[in-house]
Amino acid sequence: MQNILVVDDEPDVRDSVKYVLDRAGYSVRTAESAMDALAELARSPTDLVITDIIMPQINGVEAIESIRKAFPAVRIIAISGGGNFGVADYQPSAITTTAYLASAEKAGAHLVLTKPFETVELIRSVEQVLGVGHA
Amino acid sequence: MARIRATFWIYVTACVVLVHLVLLPALFFGMGYVIRESHEDLFIEHARTFSRVLADEFEVGGALDSQSRIEDLLDFAITHGGARYAELNERDRSIRSLYGSSEIKTARSTDLSFGQGGDGIYFVVRPIVHGSHRAELRLGFDEQPTQERIQLALTRMLWLLAGYLVAALAIAIILSYRLSRPIQRLQAVSRAIALGDYTRALNVNTGIRELHDAAVDLEAMRHELVGVNDRLQAKIKEKEISDARREELQKQLQHRQRLETVGTLASGIAHEINNVLVPIILYTDTALQDLPPSGAPRANLERVLAAARRAKDIVKKILTFSRELGEAKLALIDLREVVAEALHLFSALAPPTIEIRTEIEESLPLVQADATLAAHVLMNLCTNAYQAMEGAKGTLTIGLRYQDNARVGSRSQPRVEFWVRDTGRGMDAATVERIFEPFFTTRSVGHGSGLGLSVVHGIVESFGASITVESKIGVGTTFRIFFLAVARLEVIGDLAEPVV
Repeated sequence: MQNILVVDDEPDVRDSVKYVLDRAGYSVRTAESAMDALAELARSPTDLVITDIIMPQINGVEAIESIRKAFPAVRIIAISGGGNFGVADYQPSAITTTAYLASAEKAGAHLVLTKPFETVELIRSVEQVLGVGHA
Repeated sequence: MARIRATFWIYVTACVVLVHLVLLPALFFGMGYVIRESHEDLFIEHARTFSRVLADEFEVGGALDSQSRIEDLLDFAITHGGARYAELNERDRSIRSLYGSSEIKTARSTDLSFGQGGDGIYFVVRPIVHGSHRAELRLGFDEQPTQERIQLALTRMLWLLAGYLVAALAIAIILSYRLSRPIQRLQAVSRAIALGDYTRALNVNTGIRELHDAAVDLEAMRHELVGVNDRLQAKIKEKEISDARREELQKQLQHRQRLETVGTLASGIAHEINNVLVPIILYTDTALQDLPPSGAPRANLERVLAAARRAKDIVKKILTFSRELGEAKLALIDLREVVAEALHLFSALAPPTIEIRTEIEESLPLVQADATLAAHVLMNLCTNAYQAMEGAKGTLTIGLRYQDNARVGSRSQPRVEFWVRDTGRGMDAATVERIFEPFFTTRSVGHGSGLGLSVVHGIVESFGASITVESKIGVGTTFRIFFLAVARLEVIGDLAEPVV
């Protein structure tokens, strides 16, 4: 059974993704921040990390870079619903969902997924990244 | 002390009258004296000469010796000499012409002047000496005809002078009127200038040097004033324009800031909703997998899922508005192709009551945009236009033109202007102000979410282009998009090189 770590600061997102993937037969753990995720990765073997991009403290792009460095074998899916955090941080031309996801891809994510996604989309993406049949 | 002020011509006429009131009586009396004198002199000369000639005749011809000869000569004096009385006195005899007047008193010596004695008769007494004869010739000449001639001459002169006075007055009036005309022109123009009207040119044509010089000076002054006034007006206008432009820019800036604030809020909300939608969709979907293929719970959950997907679409639109979608792949495109494509699609949708016109320039440079999104924008604007004209006849005009120095905001750049004009209902200023805000709609509930124009705005901004709208209630609405264009000269150069 493959191990998946879901990282999102939003409990509902975390839990629902875990629920779907549990049902699909994966062993799923969750983390609510990038720090937790790195600790969790160190604690037990993980095949795939599904991480949000916009999170407090360390954002998803930095998290992906750290994971790629520390755990090169781990596959990564980035998810984002876009948006800006606080009017002060608003940079009209730079901050877009695609911009986030593009930088996530650049940082080393194997696949990017826009929130909200369908169950089928999620499972298919996971299968694709993990390479069904190869596991 | 207040001075009496009269019109120029009255003044001149009064002066002429005054001068003549003094001069004419003097002239009359002076000339009357001369006339009288000359007539009297003539009369006296005649009386004296005639009486001397007659006295000579008595002395030379020896007429004193014959009574009848004396009577003949005395009668001759009455009939041919103009006398009314003739008499010859000698010591013992007195012979008198019977033709003469008998009423005339004879006891008078020679009159020294005309009119003397008050009897209307001028007396001349002449002594006659011939041999032993010592006689005296007495002749009386009638003064009446001369008196009448003098009277007649005086009357004629009076008429003459009256005629002269009338002529002088007429000339004075005409002359003063003609003189006062240029003065009146000067006066009218200076009054107009005083009242602020500098535009009336001063064309005074006069032979009077002072008036001519005054007119030239006044015209120069007016000309100077016109210049000063024009410069002032131009300055004021310039200031008004720059004020209006500043106000316009300020308004645009405020509008833009508000849109950006709204956009920021919207994208923040969109992010939250996206997060909320994840569990809704995932849990509902998995719950559906556990339910039997039919039944109320399944139908209900399918509706929940459908609603969640709609919410997802709405959020996607909001993100487009706040430039979160960022899907625009900017390239250099030919707007004419995009317009042709949009027209092709739109003419199939538009009702036959709407006439579609195009005003597209032949040669246009490429613009920076995303062809698919640009088509989306064009379709959206066309649909809005036809909805504004719904249920009525109307004209929809689509235009494209190049402006090598279009002023958009504070910058002037080469642009291609695209416009869609409808002859529909139009919008009021308050609506125009908010037309690009998300969720702002004039359509009735159920006809759309109101995201249309805010999405258009977001897309247009992502092209680096700008959009404006002008509208008048009952006339129609025009949307204009100013696309960033490659300057025409550059088109000839490198076409393939993308701008971004």
